[in-house]
Amino acid sequence: MFKFMLNDAIGYVRNNVRDISLNALRLLPHLPQLSPYDVNLVLRENEFIFNFPLDGVIHSYETNQLGSNTPCEDSRTEASLLFRNGFICGIFDGHGGAACGQVVSKRLLRYISAATLPRQVLKDKMQKGCTSQSFLKCHNDNADFVNEIKPIYEHSFNKYITELIKEPQRDVTSELQHAFVHLDESLAQEALATHDVRTMGVALSGAVACLVHLEGLQLHVASTGDCGAVLGILDPVTNQWQPKKLNTEHNADNMQEVQRILDEHPKEERDTIIRNGRLLSQLAPLRAFGDYRYKWSVETLQQQVVPMFGEHMMPPHYFTPPYLTARPDVQHHELDVNDKFLVIASDGLWDFLSPSEVVSLVGQHVNSKKIQEPMRLENGDVTLQEISDKLAERKAGLNRKPIDSNAATHLIRHALGGTDYGIEHSKISYYLSLPKDVVRLYRDDITITVIYFNSDHIAKLKKDEKGISSKVTGA
Amino acid sequence: MHRLLRSVAISCHAAAVQRTDHGVRRLSITGSDVDPADEQVLRKRKFKPHQQSAELSEKLAGQMPSQARVVICGGGITGASVAYHLGLKGWGGETLLVEQDRVGGELPWSACGLAGRFERSYTELKLAEYSTDLIKSLTEQGLPTGWRQVGSLNLGRNFDRMTSFNRMKSQAIAWGMNCEVLTPEQCLERCPLISLDGVEGGLWIPEDGVCDPHLVCHAYLEEAKRMGVRVIEFCAIKKIHSAHGKVERVETTAGDVACEYFVNCSGFWAREVGTLSKPVVKVPLKAVEHHYLHTKPIDQLDPNTPFVRDFDGRIFFRECEGHILAGGFEREAKMVYEDGIIPLSQQARQHPPDWDHFHELLDSLLHRVPSFREAKLDRLTNSLQVFSPDCKWILGESPEIQNYYVAAGNKTMGVSASGGIGLVLTDLITKGFTYLDLHILDITRFLGLHNNRKFLRDRCKEAPGKHFEVNYPFEEFQTGRNLRMSPIYPQLKEAGAVFGQSMGYERPNYFDQNDKQDEFGLPRFRIARTKTFGKPPWFDHVASEYRACRERIGIADYSSFTKYDLWSKGNEVVELLQYLCSNDVDVAVGSIIHTGMQNPNGGYENDCSLARLSERHYMMIAPTIQQTRSMCWIRKHMPAHLRPKVNVADVTSMYTAICILGPYTRVLLSELTDTDLSPRSFPFFTYKELDVGLADGIRVLNITHTGELGYVLYIPNEYALHVYERLYQAGQKYNIQHAGYYATRALRIEKFYAFWGQDLDTFTTPLECGRSWRVKFNKPIEFIGRSALLKQREEGVKRMYVQLLLNDHDHEVDMWCWGDEPIYRDGVYVGMTTTTGYGYTFEKQVCLGFVRNIDANGQELPVTSEYVLSGHYEVEVAGVRFEAKVNLHSPNLPTKFPDREREAYHATRDRPDQADLLSFSSNLTTTGQ
Repeated sequence: MFKFMLNDAIGYVRNNVRDISLNALRLLPHLPQLSPYDVNLVLRENEFIFNFPLDGVIHSYETNQLGSNTPCEDSRTEASLLFRNGFICGIFDGHGGAACGQVVSKRLLRYISAATLPRQVLKDKMQKGCTSQSFLKCHNDNADFVNEIKPIYEHSFNKYITELIKEPQRDVTSELQHAFVHLDESLAQEALATHDVRTMGVALSGAVACLVHLEGLQLHVASTGDCGAVLGILDPVTNQWQPKKLNTEHNADNMQEVQRILDEHPKEERDTIIRNGRLLSQLAPLRAFGDYRYKWSVETLQQQVVPMFGEHMMPPHYFTPPYLTARPDVQHHELDVNDKFLVIASDGLWDFLSPSEVVSLVGQHVNSKKIQEPMRLENGDVTLQEISDKLAERKAGLNRKPIDSNAATHLIRHALGGTDYGIEHSKISYYLSLPKDVVRLYRDDITITVIYFNSDHIAKLKKDEKGISSKVTGA
Repeated sequence: MHRLLRSVAISCHAAAVQRTDHGVRRLSITGSDVDPADEQVLRKRKFKPHQQSAELSEKLAGQMPSQARVVICGGGITGASVAYHLGLKGWGGETLLVEQDRVGGELPWSACGLAGRFERSYTELKLAEYSTDLIKSLTEQGLPTGWRQVGSLNLGRNFDRMTSFNRMKSQAIAWGMNCEVLTPEQCLERCPLISLDGVEGGLWIPEDGVCDPHLVCHAYLEEAKRMGVRVIEFCAIKKIHSAHGKVERVETTAGDVACEYFVNCSGFWAREVGTLSKPVVKVPLKAVEHHYLHTKPIDQLDPNTPFVRDFDGRIFFRECEGHILAGGFEREAKMVYEDGIIPLSQQARQHPPDWDHFHELLDSLLHRVPSFREAKLDRLTNSLQVFSPDCKWILGESPEIQNYYVAAGNKTMGVSASGGIGLVLTDLITKGFTYLDLHILDITRFLGLHNNRKFLRDRCKEAPGKHFEVNYPFEEFQTGRNLRMSPIYPQLKEAGAVFGQSMGYERPNYFDQNDKQDEFGLPRFRIARTKTFGKPPWFDHVASEYRACRERIGIADYSSFTKYDLWSKGNEVVELLQYLCSNDVDVAVGSIIHTGMQNPNGGYENDCSLARLSERHYMMIAPTIQQTRSMCWIRKHMPAHLRPKVNVADVTSMYTAICILGPYTRVLLSELTDTDLSPRSFPFFTYKELDVGLADGIRVLNITHTGELGYVLYIPNEYALHVYERLYQAGQKYNIQHAGYYATRALRIEKFYAFWGQDLDTFTTPLECGRSWRVKFNKPIEFIGRSALLKQREEGVKRMYVQLLLNDHDHEVDMWCWGDEPIYRDGVYVGMTTTTGYGYTFEKQVCLGFVRNIDANGQELPVTSEYVLSGHYEVEVAGVRFEAKVNLHSPNLPTKFPDREREAYHATRDRPDQADLLSFSSNLTTTGQ
């Protein structure tokens, strides 16, 4: 019981950390001051930029990750869909260990890349002996499953495909939901079937996910848990950046979500299900992969989990499981020429910055990037005065030139060091030099992926589409 | 948690770095005709040769002579001019010019084409003037050069700039240049395009003009070819071989050529070509971006628009084929090729323009000429230019290899420089001397440090900007500092030293106690600033240091002085020095002599002090700027039979030199050593090796180079701090005070001491500067320059070194003298001042300088003491003449501490055989001078 009280206390501190953090930081004695060079080294360690070589809807993406837990519990995967023009990427914020997040981040994309393929194509490909990795190409992938685990996952995947082929094609939204739920079920089955401490670890740790699926102009954001996705739209009239949220976080602030959970359980449990903003006073996100401590029946837990991990694995007030689901909310959005970029990030970022702040920061970054390129003059006559005016405009921009070329790093730097009057180095230094045992109180793992859309290409696609539809109506 | 993922080294940095490297655009050539061995050489050299077809190679191989007297590398304007002048001297048939691409370059108009003479020194001005005259005469011969004498209009926006124009106007009379100081309205008359906003006046040079550098280059080459010079294009130099320290053979892509002389005129690539020999010839140059703006043709643009320079706006412009060509020199230049890899081809030298960098200059141009706002852009070119670390041309014979000449660093002024450079280099090659003193441009003014790539990168940011800055006295560079420092530097810094740099050495110029610490309480590194032509901001500091040296004890750091040790087993070292020096060096052991090293014309190549440490061991002390130069001179003129026997070692970096000067120095030094320092045992102009404090082996010279009583201590570096602390501690009771270079300089100017590089140069003879008593004609050896000096003694000197004290000059309000002011005798121009300063005892401006005697027909007559003393003198300072009193010998300054020895000694004497008054040093066989 004491432990849970402690957890509650941590939860309380975490929730209020924004208010007390800076004062508390000042109180921590003798933190080493990092030099700007060291700070850059830390912030840029996990940077990645990918420019798509071909003309597509996506121009490039930039991503970065800053760990707080050791090891970092966030994962990210980005991939191009094969056999069609598409892109898929996801951010996975693990809790209770990194295992679930790591596994889901790899497998979920494979499931979805297969599920959204037309059934006939899928059938043909599978007959030719395809594996789980045949339907996508990962861009920043430098790890794979160990040999003992790989066949188990491959087996589950094949089972999933076999079922899939039997079922008729659904729309993308349903396929996404189906894949989420199916993968989550697989995790449980694998754990119970193999009795391996590793597969059990995956099932008992948890992860929230935010996944972006883009094919043509059709953008789907599937989100389970408290990651966030926000679209940056450039208002063509005012030239201002507008944010558009593409998901709702599943946490205690989301009244609809709280209501859903309460409705699914008997009235007697109203006071115990959600306490201190947490599920069973333990779990902050209200939906997640894994976390079978909140999903399995009491018997399963008693027989399978408690002997392996001990009595404390049993949550308090555990009466009518499952309390948790992996089913995502899916939002659909059709891309428009004014949609310039999409930011998805784990809650580590949203703790510090609001969606509108994020969009304006990335927007500024986009503007300043133009300035970093050498000036090009249009052909034809141009007077020296015109050039001078143009240069003056650029000069104003040059002064605001960001330190980071990667927008994700730019966001992390602002999240940690942003003040009303600009970036404060000492603040970042404090955050980065906090001792391991307390750092988690002040900042969570942060993972960010910024996807840039190619407006020219979108405009072209839109035009083609119109052409086709008008033809259709004309006929 | 359990590790489920096989961890693979996460290395996304490599992928994340996606730089588009347009900095270095190399030619991708895989020439099948380049054999692997060649390739090795060329890779080392870091640029690849131009692709040549096998056919062309064969054809070239046939053309290539196996022998030539002079091989010139580089077919740019400098190389062309050298070839042309060699042709004129009749060496055309023996000269070969090799160019790796096409001669003249492929890019016309990557230069402004000004042929002008607005230069800072007499030498540079004369070279530029000759170039202009040459272009004019080539045009008159009917060669296309694009020459038009449109004049140059130089605008000034502030008082200091106008003062510098006025100084130039004063100098112009002496230097034979036409110019006129204009009011703003007159400027507008000369060029109606400009706006007068902020303009305070201008300087008009009517004889300047513009030309097309491309055409001029071809004109030189055509003429050179006519005179027999062979020009081979598409042929790159691979290696320069030397034997016995002299050029022997040049290896090219089209075969070998045996040669006697090699001239590196490769301009932009000169530093890299320097690496093609062993030892490497160091040509310190760094490439920076340089923009030229071309507009589209402008209606009714006057073709005779003058060449306009707005120095304070850092821009210039000219009319060029109906349009405007403009450019400028930005405050901080943009470096290129920081990795040192210079591309070979002309095309790669052209960079994409950086508009943001040019912005400041563009706005400045539009401010000056509002009508250009509507002009249409044709293009902005960014052609790279190389600059030397001091923003001066680099000329002369390399110190590393004899007969290897360099002409480089023309800093965008190729046309103005080329003619003169061609002429003087040809003189040096064919005759061994020329008609101008070149020491400020000589390649021997550098040390190895100047060729350090990082140093160049640091310094050359600043160098181009200097080009258009006001030529203030004692200007210092802000970059490339704290490079050479004496061991007592930290102590000096703490004591408030404000530094100046000479040969990379940080030397305290004066000491300022205000604001000497930074915000952490640490001593601040401060660079001396004068930034005025009037009373300098350091006046009071120097006054107090000066008084300390005259009345108490001053302590100064002389460490930057050049120090050589010369020794031999037998008597060879004496033989060598007797041959090189004009004074008699065979003096008693322990004596010090001042002597010049004369050139065959009697001029000073070096003015040094020699201390005879032992029978066969001398120590030479020479000015700081002589470090490379005097070694070259000694090596080059060492008779062959002495070469294996005499050792000459540069020990500059082994000793710290501390000078204590003032009436109490003898007492002070006596406290720290057991040796008797009384004049009887340690007289003036002698040397002793002493123990000082707890240290030993300190070479103490009883001279100060200022005329004060005192000693210079040459201390092995590891003892330097110890000796310094002991001196400073013991000196406290005498109120010892630090003295900087400006204070010692003020002392020596008042005492009428000449310094090489400032008063003396390669054209000054000892007879002209009152030092004939230091020339021993009766030495049993025909020393260098003896016959010339003898002849001069017979004929009388044509100019004489004088000291002038200005009357009625108010040092608070009037412009000061800073050197190069014209001297008038009875209203007639007779010469220029060399060094000048404020005499704190005389309380007057003191000028040192030379006067001539030119009669009405322009004939130069001998100058006698009577002639000098009989005139009425005036010195013109920035357009204002001040009456002056003349001195021919060092004065005796009033003092509270009379000292017989020093009063008897006059550095500069009006009578050649003035009696020596140092009678009491009779225990030495020869008195030391």
